[in-house]
Amino acid sequence: MAHDTEVLVLGGGSTGCGIARDLATRGLGVTLLERGNLTHGTTGRMHGLLHSGGRYAVSDQASARECIEENRVLREIAGHCVEETGGLFVQRPEDPDEYFREKLQGCRECDIPATVLSGAEAREIEPYLTNDIERAIQVPDGAVDPFRLCVANAIDAERHGARIETHAEVIDLLREGDDVYGAVVRHESGPGKQAHARPGTTEEITADYVVNATGAWAGQIGAMADLEIAVRPSKGVMTIMNVRQVDTVINRCRPKGDADIIVPHETTAILGTTDDEVSDPDDYPEEQWEVDLLIDTLSELVPILRDARTIRSFWGVRPLYEPPGTGTEDPTDITRDFFLLDHAERDGVDGMTSIVGGKFTTYRLMAEQISDHVCEKLGVRGSCTTAEEPLPGSENLETLLAGMDDFGLRSPIARRSAKRLGSRSQEVLETDEPNPVICACEGVTRAEIRDAISQSGTDLNGVRIRTRASMGNCQGGFCCHAMANELSPEYEEPAVRAALDELFQERWKGERHALWGEQLSQAMLNYALHATTMNRDRDPAARSSALEGRGEDDGETTAAESIDYGAFDAGRGRSAESARERIADGRADAPSRRRDGGADGD
Amino acid sequence: MSDSEPDRPTDDHVPDDEFEPVQVFPDAEEMDLRPGADNCYKCSTCDTNCPVAEVDDEFPGPKFQGPEQWRLKRGDDTDIDPSITKCSNCMRCDHACPSEVPLSQMHNTARGEYVEEHLNKRSLEYVRNRILSNYGTMARIGSKVPRLTNFVMGLSVTKWVNDRVLGITSEREFPKFATETFREWWDERGGAAASRERAREARATSGSESESESESENERKSEDKRVAYFHGDYANYNTPEVAKAMVRVFETFGYEVCVPDQRCSGTPMFANGMLDDARRAARFNVDTFRELVDDGYDVICSCTSCSMALRQEYPELFDFEGTETVAANTYDALEYLRIHEDLEAELAGSDVDAPDFAYHTPCHARNQGLDGQTLEVVDAIGGVEAHDVGDSCSGISGTYGWKTEHYETSMAIGEEMFQHMDSADADTGLTECPTCAMQMEHGTGYEIRHPLEVLEAALSTDVSPDQ
Amino acid sequence: MAIEDDVLVIGGGLAGVTAALSAAEHGDRVRLISYKQSTLRHASGLIDVLGYAPDRGEGESREGDGRSEGPLSDPFDAIPDLPTGHPYERVGLERVREALLFFDAIVGDAYEGGHTPSNALVPTVSGTVKPTARYPASVAPGLASDARSTLLVGFETMPEFDAPLSAAHLRAADVPFPVRGATISFPGELRDDAKRTRYAHILDWDESVDTGTGAGSAPGRAVLAETIRPHLEREARLGLPAVLGEENTGVVRRDLEERLGVDVFEIPMGPPSLPGMRLEDLLYGALEEHGVRVTTGVPVVGCEASDGGRRVDHVLVDRKGQEVPYRADEYVLATGGLVGKGVRSSRDGVTEPIFDCHVPHPEDRYDWFVDDAFGDQPFARFGVAVDRELRPLDAREKPEFENLRAAGGVLGGYDYAAEKSGSGVSLATGYVAGRRAGKEVRR
Repeated sequence: MAHDTEVLVLGGGSTGCGIARDLATRGLGVTLLERGNLTHGTTGRMHGLLHSGGRYAVSDQASARECIEENRVLREIAGHCVEETGGLFVQRPEDPDEYFREKLQGCRECDIPATVLSGAEAREIEPYLTNDIERAIQVPDGAVDPFRLCVANAIDAERHGARIETHAEVIDLLREGDDVYGAVVRHESGPGKQAHARPGTTEEITADYVVNATGAWAGQIGAMADLEIAVRPSKGVMTIMNVRQVDTVINRCRPKGDADIIVPHETTAILGTTDDEVSDPDDYPEEQWEVDLLIDTLSELVPILRDARTIRSFWGVRPLYEPPGTGTEDPTDITRDFFLLDHAERDGVDGMTSIVGGKFTTYRLMAEQISDHVCEKLGVRGSCTTAEEPLPGSENLETLLAGMDDFGLRSPIARRSAKRLGSRSQEVLETDEPNPVICACEGVTRAEIRDAISQSGTDLNGVRIRTRASMGNCQGGFCCHAMANELSPEYEEPAVRAALDELFQERWKGERHALWGEQLSQAMLNYALHATTMNRDRDPAARSSALEGRGEDDGETTAAESIDYGAFDAGRGRSAESARERIADGRADAPSRRRDGGADGD
Repeated sequence: MSDSEPDRPTDDHVPDDEFEPVQVFPDAEEMDLRPGADNCYKCSTCDTNCPVAEVDDEFPGPKFQGPEQWRLKRGDDTDIDPSITKCSNCMRCDHACPSEVPLSQMHNTARGEYVEEHLNKRSLEYVRNRILSNYGTMARIGSKVPRLTNFVMGLSVTKWVNDRVLGITSEREFPKFATETFREWWDERGGAAASRERAREARATSGSESESESESENERKSEDKRVAYFHGDYANYNTPEVAKAMVRVFETFGYEVCVPDQRCSGTPMFANGMLDDARRAARFNVDTFRELVDDGYDVICSCTSCSMALRQEYPELFDFEGTETVAANTYDALEYLRIHEDLEAELAGSDVDAPDFAYHTPCHARNQGLDGQTLEVVDAIGGVEAHDVGDSCSGISGTYGWKTEHYETSMAIGEEMFQHMDSADADTGLTECPTCAMQMEHGTGYEIRHPLEVLEAALSTDVSPDQ
Repeated sequence: MAIEDDVLVIGGGLAGVTAALSAAEHGDRVRLISYKQSTLRHASGLIDVLGYAPDRGEGESREGDGRSEGPLSDPFDAIPDLPTGHPYERVGLERVREALLFFDAIVGDAYEGGHTPSNALVPTVSGTVKPTARYPASVAPGLASDARSTLLVGFETMPEFDAPLSAAHLRAADVPFPVRGATISFPGELRDDAKRTRYAHILDWDESVDTGTGAGSAPGRAVLAETIRPHLEREARLGLPAVLGEENTGVVRRDLEERLGVDVFEIPMGPPSLPGMRLEDLLYGALEEHGVRVTTGVPVVGCEASDGGRRVDHVLVDRKGQEVPYRADEYVLATGGLVGKGVRSSRDGVTEPIFDCHVPHPEDRYDWFVDDAFGDQPFARFGVAVDRELRPLDAREKPEFENLRAAGGVLGGYDYAAEKSGSGVSLATGYVAGRRAGKEVRR
């Protein structure tokens, strides 16, 4: 029986997207399933460090070597996702000299370029570093945008014929005897890009081979086919600062510990992180002390962090894995290496391999190895080109930036947009239409928002991760609604409203962890704008929709159930009675449906 | 940087934290103001106060030019949107921001960077801006032969050349140079020694009522009542009557005035992004006045842009020794008297024969919390009234309105003030700021006075006429 | 020496101005000191008194039963039932009514709504309707209980208002009138990032703009009217974003109405709000008229007490580094809430920075919020607690100072965003605090 697809990849994080691209470019038919939008899991919840390998140079030199190699590869193939910030391992007076020596030694052994700087030299690079830095090791750390990187992988996979399904949750694996042959998926909104307020459907997708790249969720997927995969999810908190206090990655040079890294990321700096094992990757406590720990500890390196504004915090779950029987107690001791679990070899169940462990920087290498494995399984010959072929958006990047057009935009906005869009800038930003800025914090214009909508539909979180719109200091308070407006007229009013509500709540979720000082004032202003000025918290349309949902199939609501408009002031010298009458008349002269606006919403 | 041995004690040359060899901000141009964006909550109150954004289609407003542009910057970026040169540096955004974003500091620094990185140093624009921002240099030369200079500057050929070649608008009349500068008058009058004598007399006169005023008491007060006058270029070369009024008024209240050597406050240099020029001028002024402050003098300005520069812009942009000290001891003239003297009691019963005034609060006065002050003082003077002409900007903002390309914008901004002056019940203007005065005169043809002149007139019944 | 007055009002928003005006009514010498510009410019310019009864339990989500509670048609009906500590409960129903009359007298015909105790429902920028008690004259023809057909027109370069979408939203809210939307290009050579004040300026002064039809240029209002005309069908009224001038809104509206033969109204927008700015202008005009002395641009940074800490002797004003004393007999604190910065917070807690008044708040920061963005947010209620004379209370519920009263956003115990009560509370408490302060001076 012919299957729907040759390879079914589960998980739209970096690994899944990387595998989809790799296999698709080798000519295989690939379908990728992701339950949220791309990067919904761990990939979207990391600090964005492109490792030089320096962090592993003492404890795990194999990983360190992989990191520096992949670091070089990504600079080449994904220039528009990478910022070459450089990194410093800084030593405070109380940090051990011995470890500093080992770090430097390790870097050299692993072929990681490393230079020792005096404290003064380090502060010349980063003036906000504390005065009592003893010295530092400079390494080629970088910052990477995991969202854009995954999207670029997915776009390239699609260009090579892959099917990418987001908002498509795997609810079961198809297993017959000792053979896994596909998955049952529930589409939250119907196949294709997301459109709100459409009924969900389920679909069975059969495949010659299934790759479980769901990371911290791999155990849950395995369980659907009665396979035990002992991932040990470990949570870590990250706090986003409103501005970049540093332009270089700052690592604390001491043996493992919490709160030891600051990564400049786009317009922000991200503080990381902690390492605590959790039982359920979807449900774990997010607590005040974790955020406070980051700020207090890292302000030992960069003192102005103590009173600086944070705009949100988020937690990610590492997909740690160790082979059965290792028995490591402390999650920080668990290896960061990745494991390829062929369930045929391991459990005697054919048709599926799981990939667990690993780290973002080496996602491409992991994808290459598992793709080799799948090809071998399927008896397909195809060589990997992902280390050489630039990702979409990254082609000709140097030429673009050298002769950059400003597309009629203010210069820093043009610069930031071009960095995000890479070689697609021209195609997206060159427009005769008015192109106002929609998100002023991040400098995102209408053209870029519309381009993202063409990719992700009414999933405004998908638009957000593609453009950074709503990710600045107001956390969407001043632009969520303007972003949603761009969905119209392509999408109808109820869908736009649902999309806005979803984005607004998502933005709130992370901002809750930053609610003091300026961000609390911001939150109150956002709340006032959306509740007081727009009355979105008491939206009468939501009320009408709720009433409709209560079982009135014809969708008609009666005057008695909605607001009694007749009971309110109709203006001096005007009677509200006419409003009552009109309602009683069943609104006989409801507007005709016209092209310029009357068509939506009833 | 060196690829040194790992255990080389690299910081031996740094004895302790007090001595910090790395100058974090070697130049103002390199200041990192991104953290200042932390305070912005995007309310756009700054934008609604920007007189330029309201009339100029090229200017994106202070929110973009300030916190947004800074936040989008990366360490090595030199991108500054060219529209920064459209900002007139009126600083109304500073005054407006409900969340304390250092907007004008961001604008000044960005403008400095823009001029440094992007403006061709051989361009006429650069030359013109340097000429305008170094008005004092031009004035020093011009005022040596004031009549000739006034004649030449008034010639249509001069205006034509200025307009077409340099981009200095021919619409405006160059301010006339006084035939005697304030400093010439001051020196001739006997300088600080003469002032000390007059102040002593004034104290003796007012003290004689209490009978108990002893010589030593007067001496003690002399220690308290010393002010150093920062007159700025304009009051020196163009409106010495204002500077003279300041001196006489302060002496009436028993203050000894000294007038040290000084340079331009730097206001026009900030506004043109000429931060190097501004730094030289500021350093000179801080050095001079710091010593006087240490000797017990307070610094008094009669121009609100000068006091703004000393109090706010210097500490925001420079960190010479004493910058903060000078800033913390600088006052506007009227403000100082209101705080230190019972001005209302002194003015009770005064009667001035003067026309009523249409009063405009300069934006820089507003920024120092000085709005309302002049109206309150004039209110206490008999025989004269001042009518507020609203809180709009005059539009000239120092050198801004002198540039051909900004002239129309400048006049469009000023329109609201002109209309309010026109409808106010007065035919004479009143303001603290010399360039606002130029604009007021240019737009309405009114004669414009300085509040110190009115105060001098009110007090003159008690003052023995002087030269 | 200190700068002396009878009453010193600290804060220049709606509450502060109302307090200053009500204190000045009887001839006292009143000074209003305001640091930066007030949050009036953030607000829609509508005068909400009470739109929804705050009957939800602590932490309860509005998603639940709460949402079925409709808007209040009579705000005064619900005031007697408000919980203890709510600012309206502190001042009492009658004072709220008086304060609104006081407001009506200040603003004259610039505002409407005083003809009825009922709330009006005003179409919002997002296409919902909002209950409010007083509204600018420019908003009046747009009320949702008025059954006349309506065209909304938005501008391509103003992305926060999508007129066709707002119209669809209004229809989904079952408004009793036909409504459509259209998007046009605003006449002239505006850049895509033009500020709202730029739009207003063009209309205010009828600036000459390009007609876009090759016919050269013409006055801005005429060109705007001609651009809108083809979109009008049989509608009786036309709604535009609230940028119809800052100084001459009445003239701009009348001009458009005459040209197009329909009523023209404004839809209040979020910050920056032209109706908010116009209200500010009106209020500051009233201050000048009533002889209130106004000092702006400098912060009050602290206070010195007298009488064994029972009275405020003077406050200190920071004038660019110099601390200048300002003394008065009575003080009104009207510095606003978290947005106006009259209430400040840090990781360590929530404070009132000038007098260090007690601000009740949960110790654990994670008890400051709830998980639903539109839930019953504890932080929205942060502010000082007061006695019935509006004197801030310390942790033992004793007045902090005998001669200090508080008004407006700095007060705690109410969620103005959920209740739609912000302006009403500012008016009522400002009015009462100013009046009491004035009375004490005369005593």
